[in-house]
Order: sequence, then structure tokens, then C-alpha cells
Amino acid sequence: MLETRTLTKSFGPIHVTKGVSLRLEKGERRVILGPNGAGKTTLFNQLVGELTPDSGTILLDGADVTSLRVADRARLGLSRSYQKNTLFDGLTIGENLGLAAAVALGKGQGLWRDPLQSAEVRETVREVAAQVDLAAFLDMSVKAVSYGIRRQLEVGIALATRPKVILMDEPTSGVGPEMSKGFHRLLKALPRDLTVLIIEHDMDLAFDVADTITVLNYGEVVFDGLPEAARQSQMLKDIYLGAWEDA
Amino acid sequence: MTADLGFWVLQTLNALQLSMLLFLLSVGLTVIFGLMHFVNLAHGSLYAFGAYMAASLAGVLGYWGGFLLAPLAVAALGAVLYFTLIRSQRRAGPMAQVLITFGLIFVAVDATRLIWGDLPIGIAVPAVFEGQLALLGVTYPIYRLFIIALGLAVLAVLTLVLTRTQVGAMIRAGVDNDQMAACLGINVERMFFLVFVVGCALAGLAGAVAAPVLSVTPDMGLQILIPTLIVIVIGGLGSLKGAVAGSLIFGFVQTFGAVLLPTFNSVLIYALLAAVLVIRPEGLLPAKG
Amino acid sequence: MFAHTPLRLTTLTLLAIGSLAYAFVAGFFGLEILAEIAILAILVIALDLVAGFGGMVSLCHGALMGVGAYAFTVAANEAGLGAFPAMMLAVALSAALAFVIGAICARSIGIYFIMATLAFGQMAYSFVFQSPLFGGDDGLSGAPRPDLTAIGIDLTDSRAFAIYAIAMVALTYLVAAATLRSGLGRSLVGLHHNEKRLRALGLTVWRAKATAFAISGALAGLAGCLAAQHTQYISPGLLSWTVSGEALVVVILGGLGTLVGPIVGAVLFVVLKHEISAITPYWHAIVGLILIAVVMSRANGVFGFVEARMAARKSKPVLQKANADA
Repeated sequence: MLETRTLTKSFGPIHVTKGVSLRLEKGERRVILGPNGAGKTTLFNQLVGELTPDSGTILLDGADVTSLRVADRARLGLSRSYQKNTLFDGLTIGENLGLAAAVALGKGQGLWRDPLQSAEVRETVREVAAQVDLAAFLDMSVKAVSYGIRRQLEVGIALATRPKVILMDEPTSGVGPEMSKGFHRLLKALPRDLTVLIIEHDMDLAFDVADTITVLNYGEVVFDGLPEAARQSQMLKDIYLGAWEDA
Repeated sequence: MTADLGFWVLQTLNALQLSMLLFLLSVGLTVIFGLMHFVNLAHGSLYAFGAYMAASLAGVLGYWGGFLLAPLAVAALGAVLYFTLIRSQRRAGPMAQVLITFGLIFVAVDATRLIWGDLPIGIAVPAVFEGQLALLGVTYPIYRLFIIALGLAVLAVLTLVLTRTQVGAMIRAGVDNDQMAACLGINVERMFFLVFVVGCALAGLAGAVAAPVLSVTPDMGLQILIPTLIVIVIGGLGSLKGAVAGSLIFGFVQTFGAVLLPTFNSVLIYALLAAVLVIRPEGLLPAKG
Repeated sequence: MFAHTPLRLTTLTLLAIGSLAYAFVAGFFGLEILAEIAILAILVIALDLVAGFGGMVSLCHGALMGVGAYAFTVAANEAGLGAFPAMMLAVALSAALAFVIGAICARSIGIYFIMATLAFGQMAYSFVFQSPLFGGDDGLSGAPRPDLTAIGIDLTDSRAFAIYAIAMVALTYLVAAATLRSGLGRSLVGLHHNEKRLRALGLTVWRAKATAFAISGALAGLAGCLAAQHTQYISPGLLSWTVSGEALVVVILGGLGTLVGPIVGAVLFVVLKHEISAITPYWHAIVGLILIAVVMSRANGVFGFVEARMAARKSKPVLQKANADA
């Protein structure tokens, strides 16, 4: 569904992504682990087109999208959430989701009808609100809700485009352990045909939702396999557990 | 051939003179922007105030009295503006700044009309610089050569201060990264004030030297504003090199455009600006890489 | 997101009734002022659409209005088109020019956007100023008013013209409000809040910006046509950046991003201008001081201030109740 071949990117002398090859099947849920500065977010930025790789290819559903722009990739069904909330701050939660759904449905340039009133958009907003547990907050302004709710909205906006592949950049960063667990329950309830790639800091939670695990270090893939194998890998413990415990 | 050469020399001197005048104005504006992220549309009004002060003082103290005191008077006005308006609006965003300083222009134009009247004022060139100088087959007014020399001198002093002194290093650090500068223990507030006031004084100096060659009118500040803004946007907001490059580009395009392509002349510089904004939205030599 | 609150609808109704009632009782001078207000209102609605809702603070709207005025006058006088076809042509030309400017400036943000629009506006100003076709500094005269005698309306009469201008304000408002409630309008507000996210959601940002700017430009062009018809004389000064700056001042005085506020601003601005300039020749200084005071007070103009007060009053009982419950 989503594949990269020898993706490489460097800023000056520093390799932030070094020959990364990944392959996600349809419906796969993969978690990317790695210490700070391992190049996880930089990889996401290249996958969605916010950064251009120096070399390598990105395939979405079999099609080469390496040279496509951000908006074009989004229209092909690739969606992402950000580690730092990237919301429409002055609007309500319902408007945030509605705007995302409207743009994804190709109504973002329309001149005649109000897309927020259209049946399709309203249906999407209702469904996504249920998926990320926001149904009770739709009429509230983003400014008026807690950080945890905003975190849920961050993922909700990405889901509102009805993507084939969703990339989530540390969806539970900054929220407490209880909320993280609740959020992972929501993740598990997402439709099984949605391909999910998550950057996660918390190893236990990662093992909780992952079908497969990829570990990045210094921009390189150092592990790629099943959670059980990752859990038992002495190499991972040696190199990374220390780093996580520090974090 | 000599006539041809004379034409080029003459126009080059004209272009240089315009460039240096614009440089005096734009350097203050651009460094203030680079350091404080403040857009001061009233910068042209400070220039006009400088010209009026120079004209008034010249009547009493002679040309050199005006030349020396006008920049100080403008710096004093700048200090007042800094404490009443500028400081509180520094973080208010470009729109509030554009509007407040636009309001200041309205006030400044009417204030000059109230004090000095609507009619243009002229002042004489100082006695030392009267007359013409023969140079490379052309004769050129000495006073205009003085403007060129003054611009180059200010450029040299500013370059020295910015590259060789501690204050200059602080200013460069501040333009590069204001948070970092604050972390380094620099008194940012005092540095802002200093830069703002020096920028105002340079605008006043520009007004004082321009007074004998241009007529001093209430709308002269408004007229110089657009060229100044074009200079700093072409050059790249915040950089000394950008102000130099922008001034030279504007001076030469404007001067040679007027004689070589008179029909397109006034559109030429705007088209150039539009092209720069399309190709390099941050200007040719922006302060930050 | 844009919505018609009861306060906005009430204000609009009062403005409509008030202006029409005044149009029937006013003398010649009053009617001239009414037409002036209407033309300015059209320009500032156009500006608020992009500046207030889309965050695209333009300093070329005076130029877009001027292009409309010149295109209308030349099309009607030189090309011999009727007044309405000439208006349509002028509006289309302003829209096309605005689309190009919007597309080129789409990458620029904040002060760079302001400067870029300033540059394009001044370019148009210089072009008109220098081109012999447009009469240069002397300007052009003799722009015709539309001929509506077939339906019994004589627009050369200043009362009829004032009412016609008010109708055009209503049309402009409807177009702007419809745009804001369309998909494009929703995206425009979203762009103001978070451009990066909208791009990641699949919006072609430059096209949305350019289209919104084109609609705004069309409305500014309409204001230009009316300005030409009103005074029947146009000069390059109409395109100058200070006209754009003044329009921005009116938007701010009324209330940025409220669509209704700028109309209130236009009424206040024109009335104040005539009142103050009757007393002193230095009315610009007074406007400048008022502007500085309004911006420094952080209130969103006159209408924005009232709106915020009403909202505070409305939410207060709820808060008190919540406190009592607790």
C-alpha cells in the first residue's frame, strides 16, 4: 500500500534518512520506534511531500508519488497528523472536521453550496467524531477545549479525509498514560482496511497496537519485524532502551 | 565617442547619487525590521521632518548647522515615537504596525503643513560645494558628488561598526536569532532603542542632504516611501548588504530606465520588484539564510 | 467561520432602511455623500473578504478599483459599448488582473504579501499614469451612467443614482456573503488559520487564494465602475496606494473580518470626512489619530467592539449560573 525504496535525505553533512526501505501492506498497522533525532518525523515529511528526498522512491498503492506535491498526494489518499497540534484554532471542532472533509471531497474550491451543510460532509464529521470520541465537543471552539481533546482532533482531522493510508506522528505525545491507553483503544477500533503508520515514543503502547515494528536510528532502519521479535531483540535493548528510559 | 562616454559618466553619477540617498533611508528601515520585526511606514515622514528641520535651521545657523542638528532632531522624535508607539506594538503583527504607522503618516503630513505651510521650501547649497567639477569629460555639481561621498562614508562606517565592534556583533546576532541574542545576555531592549534611533537619525540625515537638491514639500515623505520599500524588499528585509544592493539596483534601473526606455520607465522598477518577489520571495540577499 | 448573527442582520436591516429613507428625503449634497458612501462600502466589502477572512492584507485594491474605472470609461467612450456591457467587461478585467496578482503573491505571507500587492498596485498606477490612451495626469472624463429610462428610471438624477448605488452595495454584500459560505470561503478562513494543514488535506492553496482574490477584485472593479459613473471624471490618483491604505483604514475602523463592520466604517468615514473638513483643513491628521487610537485599543473597530460586548453579555449569565451551580 505504501512503500519506500532506498529513501535518502541529508541536510549538509548530516544524513537524516539513510537508504530507508519500507513496505506496508493494506490494513497493516506499523509502529516506528527510535530515539529522538532518529529521523522519524523527517521520514514522515518526505512521505507526505513536505520535504523532497535526495534520492529514492515513494510508492503509494503501487504508483510512484515521489515527485507529486503535498496536496496531490493527499488527494490520492495519504493523510497525516502532526506531533505538534496543527489545527484551525479559531474554529469549532465540528468546523475543523467539516473543513477537512470538505477539502478531501473536492469541495474546497466550490463557489455555490456550503459544504459544511452537505450530507456527505456531515456524515463524515459524525463518523470521525465517533471514531476519535469527539461527538460531545463538536460545537466547542478549539480554543476552549483541553490539550487532550485537541490531540484527538489532530488525528480526527487526518481521518476526516477518509484516507487509505494515515501517518500519525506521536498522537499521544504530551497526554497522560490513562488518556494514551484510551487513545490506543480508539486506534484499535479503526476500520481494518486502513493502513496505519505511527510514530510512538512509549514502547509498551507501541507493542499494544502494532502488527509490525520498524526501528530507526540515525536515519537508518535497524530493525524491521514482528513485535515479539522486537521485544526479544537484545540489540534493541542495548541500543535503545537506555535512550527511552532517559526520555 | 567622448560625448557618448560623457553620457554614461553623467548618468552613472546620477544613478549613484539616487542610490546613496535611498541607501541612507533604507538601511535604517531594514535593520530595524531585521532586528525588531517592525515595519515603519512613517520612515519617509522622518526623512521629510529632517529636510524641514535642515531648511529651517539653515536660515538661522547656516547650512552646516542644519546638516548637523536635523539628524539629532529626528533622532529625538524617533525616541519619542519609540516609547509612545513602537515599543508597545512590536509584537502586534505586521498589520497593526502598518496601520499605526500609516496613521502616523497622515498626522505627519498635516503637522508639516500646519507648521511650515503648503508651499515648497528651498535651501541653498553650502558655499564650499557650490559650482561644478570637471570629471571624465563631464561637469557635475560638486554638491551631488558630496551626496555620493557621504553615502559611501556612512556605508563604510556602518560596515565597520557591524563587523568589527561588539555592538555590531550583538546586532548581527539579534537579526539572526532574537531569542539567542537574549540568551547571550544582551540587553535586547536597549539595543532595539539604539538601532531605532540611529535609523531615524540616518533618515533625518538623508532629508538634510536632499533638501538643497529637491524641493521640501509636505508630501516628500510619502513620495520617497515607496522607493525605499522597494529597495528593502528587493534587497531582502533586514540585511545591510541587501540595502546596498537594493539601493544600487533601484538607482541604476530608475536613472537609466528614464533615459533609455522612457516609455516603460515607471513600470520597469515595479516589474523588477514583482519578478524578485516571484523568484525569491525573501529578496535577493535576505538577512537569514 | 462566517455566519449571520442576529446583531449582523439587525445592523444590515437598519443600514438598508436608513440609507433608503435618507435617499428619499436628502437634498443634492446629501445624495452625493450617500453615493460616495455606497462606492466606498463596495470597495471595503471587497477588501474585507480577502483581508479580514483570508488574512490577505492587500494594498492594491485601490488599483483594482481604478482599473475597473478606467476599463469602464474606455470601453464605454472609446469602444462604444453600452454602459452595462462596459461594466461587465471592466469587472471581468479587474477580476482577471486580481487572479494573476493573487496567484503570483500566493506564496508570500505577512509583510511580504503586503509589499507584493503594493508593488503590483503601483505598477498599475504608473502604467495608467504614463499611457496616453488613459489621458495621463489629466485623467478621463465623460463616463456614461447606465440608461434605465426603459423602466422609468433616470440615473442622471442624483436621487436615482444614489438608490442604484445602494442596490449595488446590496448585490456586493450578497456576493461576498455567498462566497464566504461556499467551499472556497470555508477554505479561505481555514487558510488564514493554518495554510500548511489545508495543503496537507489536499487543497491547491494558490488556486484558492487566487480565486478568492479574483472575486474580491471583481467587486473592487464594480466599485470603480460606479466611481466613474458618479463623478464622470477619473484620474490616476484613484489607483494610488494611498487609496488602498484608506480602504484598509475604513475596514479597521468598522471591524475587520465582520463584513458588516466595514459598511459601518464607510458610513462613519465619509460622514466624518465631510464634518471634520468643514471645520479644519487638517482632517487627515484627525483620521490618523483615530486610526492609531483604534489599533492601539485592540478593539476590532466600532462594529467589532459592539459585537464583542454583546457576546460577553450573552455568555455572562451562563458563567454566573455555572458558578452558582458549583
